[in-house]
Amino acid sequence: MNARLFAYLLAVLAVLPAGAAQAQHSDPETGAVTWETRAHGVALSLTQILPDQARAFYLNRGFPPPAVERYATACVYMTVLRNDAAPGELSFRLADWSVHSEGQSRPPKSVEDWMAQWRSLGLTEAAQIAFRWAQFPPAQEYAVGEWNQGMLTTGLPPGSKFDLVARWTVAGKTFEGKLENVLCAR
Amino acid sequence: MSCARAENGMKRSLFFLLLVFVAGLPVIAADLPPLTHGLTVVADPKPAPALRLADLDGKLHDLADLKGKLVVVNFWATWCPPCRREMPSLERLRARLEKQGLAVLAVDVGEDADTVFSFTGQLEPAPVFPLLLDRDSAAVQRWKVKGLPTTFVVDTQGRVIFRAVGGREFDHDTVVDQLAPHLPRQP
Repeated sequence: MNARLFAYLLAVLAVLPAGAAQAQHSDPETGAVTWETRAHGVALSLTQILPDQARAFYLNRGFPPPAVERYATACVYMTVLRNDAAPGELSFRLADWSVHSEGQSRPPKSVEDWMAQWRSLGLTEAAQIAFRWAQFPPAQEYAVGEWNQGMLTTGLPPGSKFDLVARWTVAGKTFEGKLENVLCAR
Repeated sequence: MSCARAENGMKRSLFFLLLVFVAGLPVIAADLPPLTHGLTVVADPKPAPALRLADLDGKLHDLADLKGKLVVVNFWATWCPPCRREMPSLERLRARLEKQGLAVLAVDVGEDADTVFSFTGQLEPAPVFPLLLDRDSAAVQRWKVKGLPTTFVVDTQGRVIFRAVGGREFDHDTVVDQLAPHLPRQP
C-alpha cells in the first residue's frame, strides 16, 4: 500500500463516527474535501471544487472572467449520485433537494438559473453547451448500476456550512440521503 | 520583492491549474467512482432517433447505414471524467466483437475536432471507431440524454435495446455476455 493511499484511508477512518453512514476525507494534494454517504442502496457524494479549479475550467471554455468569478464563488461541488442497490429504478429532480443553512432551506441553484445568466451575458454557444453538460443533471432516472457525476452549486457564500438532503423516488416511494456539516470552499 | 515572488507563485499555480483543467473536470484519483459493468435493458425497444454527423475529418456517418449491425452509440465529452475513463474499454469492445458485427459510434458533445483529436491521441488503445461531432448538441438532445456519458445499444433492426447512464467498463464479461445474443454473427 503506498503512503498516499494509507494516509487517505486513515483520514477516512478518523472522521467516520461509529455507526454513521457519512464519511469525510480530504485530498492531500489540493485540500478539497469530500463528504459521502449511502442510503437505501444509493451512494451520494459531494467533493469541493475549489474556486481556482472552477476558474481554470471555465476560463478554458471561453467564459469571460466576470462570469467565471460569479460561478467559482457559488459554492461548487463535484456531485455523484449512484444507484448501487436501490429496490428499483430511481428518479429525482434537483428541485426536490434541499440545502439547509442558518435556519433557511432552499433547493440547489438550478442549471436553468445559470443558463439564463449566461444567455443574458451573451456567452458563446460553445461555452453554454460546455456549461450545461458539465452540470449535474437537473432531473434523471437511474436503474441499478447507473450514475452521473457533475457540478452542483448551492449559491451560498464561500465558507458557509450547510446540510444537503437529496431526495429520490422508487416506484412512487420517496427516499432521502443526507450530508451534514458540508463546508463551502474558500 | 516578496510581492513579486508571491505574484510569480500565483502565476505558477494558475498555470498549473490551467494545464490540469484544459483536459477535464477537477477530480482526484482517490475519489474516482468505480465504472460499472452492466447495461440496462430497455423494456419496450423503440426505433433509434436519427443520427447523422460528421467525424473529425468531415466525413458524414449515418446510423441508418449500419442497419444489420449491433451498434453502440456513446455520447461523451473530453472534459467528462467518466467519459475519459470508459473510452479505452469501448475500443477494446470494438476490437473484441467487430468481426461478429458490432460497430461503435462515439458522439462528442459541443467540442471541436482539434480538442477531440488531441485527447484521443493520448489514449491506449486509441479509438479506431468513428468520433462524431455534435457541435450544436442537437443530436444529444434528440436522443434525450440527460447527463454524460450515456450510451445506447441499437440492435440489427434499428431499435434501442440497452442503455447505460454513467461510466462503464464496456469490455467487461458482463457487458459482452449481454451483447452476445444480439450480434448478427455468432463466433
